[in-house]
Amino acid sequence: MAELILSRLFYVLVFPGFLFCSAAGLLLAGIDRKMVARMQKRIGPPILQPFYDFMKLMGKETIIPHNAAKKVYLAAPVVGFVSLVVTALLIPIFGFTAFSGVADIIVILYLLTIPAVSIIIGGAASGSPYAGVGISREMVAMVSYELPFVIILLAVAKKVGLETGEGITFSLAAITQYQIASGALITKWALIPAALAMLLVIPCEVGSQPFDVAEAETEICEGPLVEYSGAPLGLYKLNYAIKMFIMTALFTTLFFGGPGVSVGNEAANTAINAVLFLLICAAVTVVCITLIHAVTARLKVEKLFKFYWTVVTGLALLSLILVWLGL
Amino acid sequence: MSFSFPFVREAVSQLFSKPSTERFPFVPKEAPERYRGRIIFHADRCINCGMCIRVCSPGAITKTVEKTEEGDKVTMSFDLTSCTFCETCADFCSKDSIEMSRDYAMVAQDSSELIVTGTFIKKPPVKKAVPPKPAPAEEAPAAPEASAAPEAPAPEDSAAPAPAPEEPAGAGPEAPKEA
Amino acid sequence: MFKKLVNRSTAKSPWIYHINAGSCNGCDIELVAVLTPRYDAERFGFKLAGTPRHADIVVVTGPVTAQSKDRLIRTLEQVPEPRVIVSLGSCPKSGNVFKGGYSIEGPLEKYVHVDVTVAGCAPKPEAVIAGLAQAAQLLKQKREAMKK
Repeated sequence: MAELILSRLFYVLVFPGFLFCSAAGLLLAGIDRKMVARMQKRIGPPILQPFYDFMKLMGKETIIPHNAAKKVYLAAPVVGFVSLVVTALLIPIFGFTAFSGVADIIVILYLLTIPAVSIIIGGAASGSPYAGVGISREMVAMVSYELPFVIILLAVAKKVGLETGEGITFSLAAITQYQIASGALITKWALIPAALAMLLVIPCEVGSQPFDVAEAETEICEGPLVEYSGAPLGLYKLNYAIKMFIMTALFTTLFFGGPGVSVGNEAANTAINAVLFLLICAAVTVVCITLIHAVTARLKVEKLFKFYWTVVTGLALLSLILVWLGL
Repeated sequence: MSFSFPFVREAVSQLFSKPSTERFPFVPKEAPERYRGRIIFHADRCINCGMCIRVCSPGAITKTVEKTEEGDKVTMSFDLTSCTFCETCADFCSKDSIEMSRDYAMVAQDSSELIVTGTFIKKPPVKKAVPPKPAPAEEAPAAPEASAAPEAPAPEDSAAPAPAPEEPAGAGPEAPKEA
Repeated sequence: MFKKLVNRSTAKSPWIYHINAGSCNGCDIELVAVLTPRYDAERFGFKLAGTPRHADIVVVTGPVTAQSKDRLIRTLEQVPEPRVIVSLGSCPKSGNVFKGGYSIEGPLEKYVHVDVTVAGCAPKPEAVIAGLAQAAQLLKQKREAMKK
């Protein structure tokens, strides 16, 4: 009994919970910044830069504006952080899941809306007109990417369900089992439009250019985060980094899943699997977040909405139709 | 598609090539020749004419004078936090006592480091002894000589144009020779 | 131990906020030139922040004009501690050629304590980097002197 509690605590606090996903997220954010700089022919910050940023923000003074709703203002980033850590506990890492009983795609979908809502609530509690503009943009961005995201998950779930004979299955454990049995889902050519659509959904959900209408720095003074300073701001930047890790981890699990290595000892297995997982996450980051970040400017809000509801939804629907036809 | 992704090929190729950043603090960088940087004031060449103060547009040059027994102790001070680095003062200085160096990093936490001063002593000019005025007797013979000399060329001048007005070139040199 | 990490990181990730108090834009151009690939201040962690609440180093250019005076004071009050104020160019220190004009409200020192002065009109980008590096070291000292 005590061993169970201890192992659960270890999962929550160290791996793959609090410490692991924070470190992985900040590392991926650092790799993103460095690669953007190299693509723009300059040197760029060291890879550990987001760690320095986070530590520095912990040491700054926290100023709460007069108009702000104090408790909500301070609680909003914490809510986002907790929901992201819970999501990290549910994603399988090549066959190892911390809490496999509840690992379900629908649960993850709902949990992933909470960080976006926490930005909206934090901005609304700031009491500043810039924040008001920022949160309305964030709502538009959320609506834009939710639709193709749901269709992609439906396509993957339907494919696995058809192949395993259950009709449709939303359980991540079943998806992982299926990939262990018959190859990664990226190799099924009916799902390739869905993978492409997911690669385009990731930058919007993460909030990196050209889809970062919510956090538009020069236009609306950083949008919802305009009045934040010190530790709450540090927590928001950490949320942004962990979200990068979670989205790329989801992509890796859904499309590149597999058995992972097996060297016998289970702990060593998990460790090597985790490193491999992070490498694939980094590669996905460079391809979908960094490459587009380095070469484009910011999209307008209407164009963002139109892009997601026409092109990306079209790709996801194509995949869904192909899967439903049994191909 | 409503928009496309340009420059992707450049981005990927630049990822694998050398960055074009100058590693400034680790590799020293020199300003170009004739760069107008920090002012160097050679106090020994200054003559206290005040031209630089007159032409300085932001009024960055000030002068304080202290009278000592050797002469005037002049202190010229150039306020670099007011200077616009146009080099007009160095241009106008007749003795080349202001020079603009190539030092560009003028950063200070204490702004008194950004004032360039120079002091020199301007000795008063040595007065020469004036010769006494000549006596009135010597003046009389000199006066008629002086009045005769201007009279001689006067009639020649009036005669020259009369004989040959059409040939002023020929008449001109001949008239003085006749006289 | 946590405090030591925080102190060390303060010098490695200074975020800059730029205020133009009536400048001619020469110094502003040199400041944003510092973030281009040729001089790349981002390798030291410098980043332009979008709002004064996120800033550590505040860079002020321009002589303080009458129209920008109140806004400058209000913006500077919003910057959280520890903070360093850098005056870029000769305008904030003395007004340069605009001295004595009808709309110049005096040097920046009348309103806030200036930590680092970078002279030049406009200063070379390398001089701006040298000034910002000094400001980052000063930031670390201020953080170590803070009570919390």
